[in-house]
Amino acid sequence: MTAEIPITAANVDPITMEVVQNALGAIADEMALVIMRTAYSTIVRDSMDYSTGICDREGWIVAHGMTMALHLGSFPDAMEALIRDYGDDMHPGDMFVWNDPYSGGGQHLPDVYIVKPVFIDGELEGFAASLVHQIDMGGIAPGSAAVYATEIFQEGLRIPPIRLYDRGKPNETFFKVMAKNTRIPDKLAGDMRAQVAACRTADAALCDLIARYGGPEYRDIVEELHSHAERIMRAEISSLPDGTWSFTDYIDGLGEKPEPLAMKITVTIDGGDMTLDWTGSAPQVNAAINCPAPFVKSACHLIVKCIAEEEIPNFEGFIRPLNIIVPEGTIVNPTPPAACAARAIVGWRALDVLLGCFAQIVPDRVPAAGEGGVTFPSFSGYDGEERFVCTEAWAGSWGAMHNADGAFGIPNPGGNLTNQPVEMVEALFPLEITRYGMVENSGGPGEFRGAPAYQREYRFLSEETQMVMRSDRRRFLPYGLNGGNPGTPSWNLRNTGTDTQSAIPVMPMEAVVFQQGETFLHVSGGGGGHGNPLDRAPKAVIDDIREERCTAEYAGEVYGVVATGEPATLDAEATNLLRRKMTSEPTDTTRPAYLRHFHKALGISEFRLVGPREMKV
Amino acid sequence: MKYRAGIDIGGTFTDLVLMREDGALHAEKLLTTPDDFGRGIADGLAAALATIGAAPDDVDVIVHGTTVATNAILEAKGARTGLITTAGFRDVLELRRLRIPEMYTLNWTKPPPLVPRRLRREVTEKTGPRGEVRIPLDETTVIAACERLARENVAAVAIAYLHSYANPDHEKRSAEIVRDIMGPDVFITCSSDILPEIREYERTSTTVINAYLGPILTAYFASLRRHLDSIGVAAPVRVMKSDGGVMSIGAAADKPAYLVESGPAAGVIGAARLAADGNNITLDMGGTTAKASMVEGGRISRTGDYEVGAGINLSSKLVMGGGYALKLPVIDISEIGAGGGSIVSLDRGGLLKVGPESAGALPGPVCYGRGGEDPTFTDSALTLGFLNPGYLVGGDLKLDADAARDALQAIIATPLDRDLLDAAWGVFQVACGTMVRAVKAVSTYRGRDPRDFALFAFGGNGPVVAAEIANLLDMTRVIIPPTPGVFSAYGLLLSDVEHEISRAWLNRLSGVSPPDMDDAYRTLETEMTALMASEGYTPADYAVARLADLRYAGQAHELTVDCVSAGDAPDFDRLIAAFGDEHERTYGHQAEAEAVECVTLRLIARVTEERPDRQVASSRVADNERTPRDVYFGPAHGHVETPVIDRPSLSAPQDGPLIVEEYDSTCIVPPGWRAALDPLGNIVLTRGNSQ
Repeated sequence: MTAEIPITAANVDPITMEVVQNALGAIADEMALVIMRTAYSTIVRDSMDYSTGICDREGWIVAHGMTMALHLGSFPDAMEALIRDYGDDMHPGDMFVWNDPYSGGGQHLPDVYIVKPVFIDGELEGFAASLVHQIDMGGIAPGSAAVYATEIFQEGLRIPPIRLYDRGKPNETFFKVMAKNTRIPDKLAGDMRAQVAACRTADAALCDLIARYGGPEYRDIVEELHSHAERIMRAEISSLPDGTWSFTDYIDGLGEKPEPLAMKITVTIDGGDMTLDWTGSAPQVNAAINCPAPFVKSACHLIVKCIAEEEIPNFEGFIRPLNIIVPEGTIVNPTPPAACAARAIVGWRALDVLLGCFAQIVPDRVPAAGEGGVTFPSFSGYDGEERFVCTEAWAGSWGAMHNADGAFGIPNPGGNLTNQPVEMVEALFPLEITRYGMVENSGGPGEFRGAPAYQREYRFLSEETQMVMRSDRRRFLPYGLNGGNPGTPSWNLRNTGTDTQSAIPVMPMEAVVFQQGETFLHVSGGGGGHGNPLDRAPKAVIDDIREERCTAEYAGEVYGVVATGEPATLDAEATNLLRRKMTSEPTDTTRPAYLRHFHKALGISEFRLVGPREMKV
Repeated sequence: MKYRAGIDIGGTFTDLVLMREDGALHAEKLLTTPDDFGRGIADGLAAALATIGAAPDDVDVIVHGTTVATNAILEAKGARTGLITTAGFRDVLELRRLRIPEMYTLNWTKPPPLVPRRLRREVTEKTGPRGEVRIPLDETTVIAACERLARENVAAVAIAYLHSYANPDHEKRSAEIVRDIMGPDVFITCSSDILPEIREYERTSTTVINAYLGPILTAYFASLRRHLDSIGVAAPVRVMKSDGGVMSIGAAADKPAYLVESGPAAGVIGAARLAADGNNITLDMGGTTAKASMVEGGRISRTGDYEVGAGINLSSKLVMGGGYALKLPVIDISEIGAGGGSIVSLDRGGLLKVGPESAGALPGPVCYGRGGEDPTFTDSALTLGFLNPGYLVGGDLKLDADAARDALQAIIATPLDRDLLDAAWGVFQVACGTMVRAVKAVSTYRGRDPRDFALFAFGGNGPVVAAEIANLLDMTRVIIPPTPGVFSAYGLLLSDVEHEISRAWLNRLSGVSPPDMDDAYRTLETEMTALMASEGYTPADYAVARLADLRYAGQAHELTVDCVSAGDAPDFDRLIAAFGDEHERTYGHQAEAEAVECVTLRLIARVTEERPDRQVASSRVADNERTPRDVYFGPAHGHVETPVIDRPSLSAPQDGPLIVEEYDSTCIVPPGWRAALDPLGNIVLTRGNSQ
């Protein structure tokens, strides 16, 4: 391949550029490590719900650590807010803190930015930026992520961009106010210290790097790297066909009687430019799932990077060819004082919507829908005298690709999170986990099947435990592609397998209270399938039976594969006959076999499909 | 006279170093025999002994570094293994910690679990986090699991129950049942034996790896022993562990998971021993990767955050999920995909990339003339004049410099519209820049300033890049040990018998007393005495150090510090102070008001042996004639007619530019650097402006 090298600055060459790009990446990773190793709360240190970045003097990202991808695309708006407020009033030794979505380009109140401007000889050369999901910023519910808040004022302490350190001197007022506005002051302070330490580390390393080239040359190099990223992005877009495509998906909705909320994307490709338009998405709601625009833009940036064939550098110049439209007053760009603490559900769904659209443009690069994004539960109560909050991040069921089954047990592409060790949760909190694993007979059938659902069940050991959570994908199942079935629905069940078993809404509009000894089971959505299930290689079905991912009965009714004996072996003749019969006969479209098997194991008999992938219970 | 033999098996070559009791060294590179490693080792050893006129029974001890364990995992050729878990948790092994080592990817392929789902059986039992039994062990479920696994013909069984680190009773009883039902040949590993620490995925995965490797390594060691016996070498064989200590092959056959990073560990040990009081960052650049590690005050740095089979380990939990978690002590090595065979290319936006794809040993770089078409790092180094086209591996490997130049010109220089030499210099710069990241991962990432360290470089290509990497990091000292190309085999000979054992001990120091901790250590010491006795040592033979993994209450990651005692019992004040200092040094701050929590207690027992001073190495190839050649040192220096010398010529210090050519490596001394020999035979490079 020959490449065109339109580098404009006379003093910049492609070798220096590569060296600087690497060096910046190393600094951002170093920041991420400092936070991981010194943070206190489990959501930060074990789930790794945080991000680090290096920005140039304009606030544009030039490097980011390997952390939460969905955070990163919102740095530009946040940095713009900081520069708007303090552009001519920053000094060496300053550090800034904020979290407000409306005045600060933030996402939701728990996501706290701490940013340090970096100076060389008194000249601003860039920023060390960190974003950490803080465990509790006050507000109506522990964890500050209640779905049921109706105004942002209920969600915790709003911090516009303010000084955390003033020329090296800590802002005591802020620290004192903050300590009185959180349920877990010691962990919050520890996690903020981790952010501060990371910024200081990066400050020193960035100064060393820039000193090697001198400020003016470093700026030229950075600008060339932005242009380089832009060139790669344009080349990617140009390799796609011109045209316009749309896709609509739904969030199940809120509370006991959920009403679907539409999310619609229209993608237009015109040469080297791409427009991503969210017009047609639902108006903002009186609950906390409204998603501030920075997070939705972030989802767009993320998916465009995912579908690119070549790695797009972490230089923000790559977004120049993108035009993102987010209509005001909708769930993808709410206006104040809309609540937004649980906004991530819209962010995760934005990923599914975008992928559903790109599946029409580049079908071989996109999987069917997965579990619907990370489910965040927050358990809280008292362990003896001591208050506890346990926030977790659950994920791990992907839709199928055109040539592979959906991946089981890896995180959603939006956030490279980890699960929390069962033993750690049990050692630290009055919670017992009674199972964590795969749900058999689950996921969407297809020539390539979606990943099975995962399940995690808790027994509550303290007198009373409150749970705040949001999940999704019970009514609108994860979509399949190319004739593959939709995935299986997500369920939240109290006291499974007992007389008192009951279902909890996907997004309860109040805290759910459990008494000692009660149990809670979360079953995730299972991934969507790809291609016709009757085209699935019989060998792959036999393998699923042998590995106990599905039963022989399920294999017969869903895939038309007849297995006999133990270990299961294929009866090829009977399989051919059965598959012919299944191809010619009409199937039950309201209660398909795979959903019957799936629900039977959960003790749920009332369900029916009312559309291609809409389920009523 | 007596000899010690160091034998390091690599993918292409097996390196052999013999050290006579007076310190004289003999080094050779043998071809590896992958069908039966023992045969190649025995044949090569017999030939080498004949060359130097020694008898088989002159060999005192053999120390062995091996990639057999790693390769069994990489190639999925371990034993058929079953796993028995607590009911409800058999998928822990497959779910892992979710995280993957890449971002922005939609088709990442997860490594398949080493034990497939049907071989993961569940039993009814549950222990709580404080060791309390919540559900008693239902032995009928264990029997059912065994019967199923026996039907499936597994050769090894891993047993990993929740919270067994706090109470191993259920696992121990289950192991008895497995033995009863499945017979004496099945290899059994309990998680409470191999890794009694909290975090179920890491513990289960480690247990499974041990079981998966057990039958393979047992057979391998038996075969090696047979082959050695057949050539009359009866010397005991020791094998290097991932943490740099050695153990007998008898002990290693029970705990093969300790051997997974056996190969790379030896070089770091060599560096630590050769510069025992020094601060060194080691850099081992071979054909596909470069590995860095830190030696501080003669002490190596270890970690428990490790994955096997992840390809490239950047010494950090940021890039995790690519392999299988193995939470046993490993020398903390950061690896990056830049080696001699790393392929040079241009990305879509026109930036120059070096690696991580590698041409490997086959086809190898273009200049090897074995069909390689993509230019590599080695082709660029040859084009710059760094390498002698007729003199790699002592002349065994002839290089085609014209082919290297043509490939580099066509694929890199012409599209970039640059002069060939500038392009080659660019490749060198980018590769060095990439390796800087590995060096930073073991230094600045831990709060250490590389300028306080010397760069200790070895491996076939380490001495080629060392000075330039030092330039980039503003380091002023570089050390190139003798026989740098077979340095790992040499390092094996400098290792000590060493064992580390640990035990979970999760307590806030404010809630316990020093005698409590002392009791826990004493229990471990009893265990250690038994372990060392099984290796044939009495307490008089070895020294035992106590260490503790501490953190501020609520943190997830610990730092390991020495546990100092006041009288008999640990001194908590000094322990807390030592932890605070280490936290400050590593992370730049400490939190004096925070409670300090102990997570794990460790003991390290080390047998220190007397070793002769080293003498200059011999090898089986005579020296070639050396003539000056034209070398391009970048735009700042341009073309320089550069003298080519051998190591002994440095007995009088000389200024760069210089090239020191040896049997197994080439050392580049750029302009501005000065080279000298130290009393140990190391080449020491110092940067001119530092004096």
